[in-house]
Amino acid sequence: MKTLILGFDSFDPAVFEEMAGQNQLPNLEKFTQHGGYSKLEVCSPPQTEVSWTSIATGTDPGGHGIFDFVHRDPSSYTPYVSILPMRRGAAGEQFVPPYTSKTFFEETADMGYPATALWWPAMFPARPGLPVNTLPGLGTPDIRGQLGVGTLLTTEDEVLKKTTRVKWSSDGKRHFSASLPGPQTQGRDGPRTIYLPIRLEVIDSTSARLTVDQSQLDLRLGEWSDIVALRFKAGLLLTIHAITRFLLTSLDGRICVYALPLQIHPLHSPWHYASSTSFSKKLWKEVGPYLTLGWPQDTTGLEEGCITDDQFLDLCQSIFDTRIQIFDCLMKEFREGVLAAIFDDLDRVQHMFFHNRMDVVQDWYRRLDRFVGEVNSQVASWTGKDRYLILSDHGFSQFEKKVHLNRWLLENGFLSMKNGSNSLDGVDWSKARAYAIGLNSIYLNIAGREGQGIVSADEVEPLLGEIRHKLSNWQDADQRRVIHKIRLKHETYSGPYTRFGPDLVVGYAPGYRASAETGLGKVPVNLLEPNTDHWGADHCMDADLVPGVVFANRNLRDFGRVSFRDIPFLAIGKYLDPSNIKPPSHSTGEGQKDLEERLKGLGYL
Amino acid sequence: MKLFSKPYQTNASNQPVIIVSGLPRSGTSMMMRILAEGGLPVLTDKIRRPDDDNPNGYFELEIVRQLKEGNFSWMNDANGKVVKVISALLEYLPQDHQYKIIFMERHSKETLASQKKMLDHRGQISKLSDEEMEQQFHHHLAALKPWLVRQQNMEVLFVNYNSLMAEPKLCCEKIVEFLDIPLNQSQMLAVPDTQLYRNRISIEE
Repeated sequence: MKTLILGFDSFDPAVFEEMAGQNQLPNLEKFTQHGGYSKLEVCSPPQTEVSWTSIATGTDPGGHGIFDFVHRDPSSYTPYVSILPMRRGAAGEQFVPPYTSKTFFEETADMGYPATALWWPAMFPARPGLPVNTLPGLGTPDIRGQLGVGTLLTTEDEVLKKTTRVKWSSDGKRHFSASLPGPQTQGRDGPRTIYLPIRLEVIDSTSARLTVDQSQLDLRLGEWSDIVALRFKAGLLLTIHAITRFLLTSLDGRICVYALPLQIHPLHSPWHYASSTSFSKKLWKEVGPYLTLGWPQDTTGLEEGCITDDQFLDLCQSIFDTRIQIFDCLMKEFREGVLAAIFDDLDRVQHMFFHNRMDVVQDWYRRLDRFVGEVNSQVASWTGKDRYLILSDHGFSQFEKKVHLNRWLLENGFLSMKNGSNSLDGVDWSKARAYAIGLNSIYLNIAGREGQGIVSADEVEPLLGEIRHKLSNWQDADQRRVIHKIRLKHETYSGPYTRFGPDLVVGYAPGYRASAETGLGKVPVNLLEPNTDHWGADHCMDADLVPGVVFANRNLRDFGRVSFRDIPFLAIGKYLDPSNIKPPSHSTGEGQKDLEERLKGLGYL
Repeated sequence: MKLFSKPYQTNASNQPVIIVSGLPRSGTSMMMRILAEGGLPVLTDKIRRPDDDNPNGYFELEIVRQLKEGNFSWMNDANGKVVKVISALLEYLPQDHQYKIIFMERHSKETLASQKKMLDHRGQISKLSDEEMEQQFHHHLAALKPWLVRQQNMEVLFVNYNSLMAEPKLCCEKIVEFLDIPLNQSQMLAVPDTQLYRNRISIEE
């Protein structure tokens, strides 16, 4: 068995079909000629980590337990990032795998073949016990154990929402110094941040020399540095290693250097970063340094104005180039098994430019197509039995308005607040019947499940129906529907984890998406808010509205609708959950009798 | 059970069962004959005798009709051999075998016209109009094909009857490639008989 999978995060079928129709994507268009292209039915909700996990396991979230980017602890209603769960053990708090359901990578290994998954979401921390080579994707934390924000070193008093701001001290007109905040350690008085001294010497109007740890970097204005390794002394015997890149963004009066989030150094990771350790080290040595953060394309830095559009795109390009080098390195020695690699730069580019710079977006589609052309030539000599798939986890859509779903629940009498608070702390749980946490999730405040639940078992079904009905009819001021579809948990999910999922899955209409505040369970004052962010497009709408794509070196026409459940079969010839494949006689209804009667008449039955 | 055997022999226990399937009157009997001429051993009991509708024979195995009832006794002898199973019975094939299925497709109007003649010959009257029956077949195939291509133990080659009649050489090459078995292609090519292509419609119909 030999299977190659290229994952193009967020590759949208409508954009593909339009560009292919204009002969702009010739290498991908070739797949359509033998029926090897289809839209891909994606799971609900169409979120990156949910979707790629559903693809890997061939199950919906009920089968693997990742329902949303944000989950909640039902006892305390506390939100947490679903793909970065922690458990307290004998050695303190440790990251644990966000799911344990079997993937087709593990199935491949069970069949006796090697399997490699590059940058696949929700694969951090690595599971050393599994014989699958991994470099994890989305969900890999920074060196602080968080999703990661950058640091702006500046001479100004700038206010930034998320990015860490550090002010330079002036040591003369051309010399500046500061302390770069690094990882935290647990001290006697609580967490303690470790700092590294950092110095900047301005050389001229376009360059400066940065000195940090053992590195001396000659920075040129607007150009990213190479990846730099840093060491933070956490004590006499403990050193925490990290990597980052610096960018000199301003020397014109305002002296600014931006540092990417400090990331895990694969050779010195405090956690199980990759599997196996020797696999990540080999790639580091053979290909060179690579960024490790799950979301290395710094959309936050761009959103907050720390870096420009071009600097962001340069960063995306360099990440893409490095990943291709790693991929090429593994392709050279790929003989059998499964090799899968996800390229997610397009997703980040579309979040930031899909709404207003389709030229930038289309450039990336063409870039991916050229890459496919290079891979196609390598695959050309493969046998007809070898498999080759290119797929995406969902498409893309406009995000014009932010939906404050908890405000809607409050105004419609499903949620209750104690005072003027706009956070979960202010919810009157003795009266609240439903609440939203996550980007597509509503939970009922069910007695016996939630910490202060009040909704009895008898009330659940009518309440679900009532919310579904009212929410489905919600219209914006211009009569546009805000919601495309509301799905009930038990209609949408199957599998052992279904009971942990949200009671209602909210599928937003095109142009609408949950606000970030909704994700955290907050209750801002308005129902809807115009989205003026740089992040102007998204995919967390209804799953039916943002299908993905699948290209294959086989005919897909007879599949009818190709679903995420089909990917393990297309990849390794095996369904991990065949329960959704219904025999034809189950779906032909009354016609089955007519058919059988005809066959009897002809002497075939 | 008597086998209509030909020279091709191999270690049959490791071989998939070769199934010829499709709607009745879609060319399944002709495909059985093509494979038999190519050298594959065919499972048939010859209970159903040749008639005006199939002058070269049906190549059927009567017991296959009991698949739905769970009678798989004939499967013990089926590996590496060809057997005809109409499309409506495919879902009842036991899961513990591997299958290579050659699925015949034919223009629905031709299939219906051929079936109608056969019903006439058998003195049967259809309750449904051609349009209604065409609709039922359409639903049947629309449900069957996505199921078929998703079966882990089945490999499928769809062969269009009309293409087979038009370009037999190309079709036979595809069949040999699909089965991955050396077959006598010149003998296979002698089977498609345009004289028997009687319910022809023009492509515009």
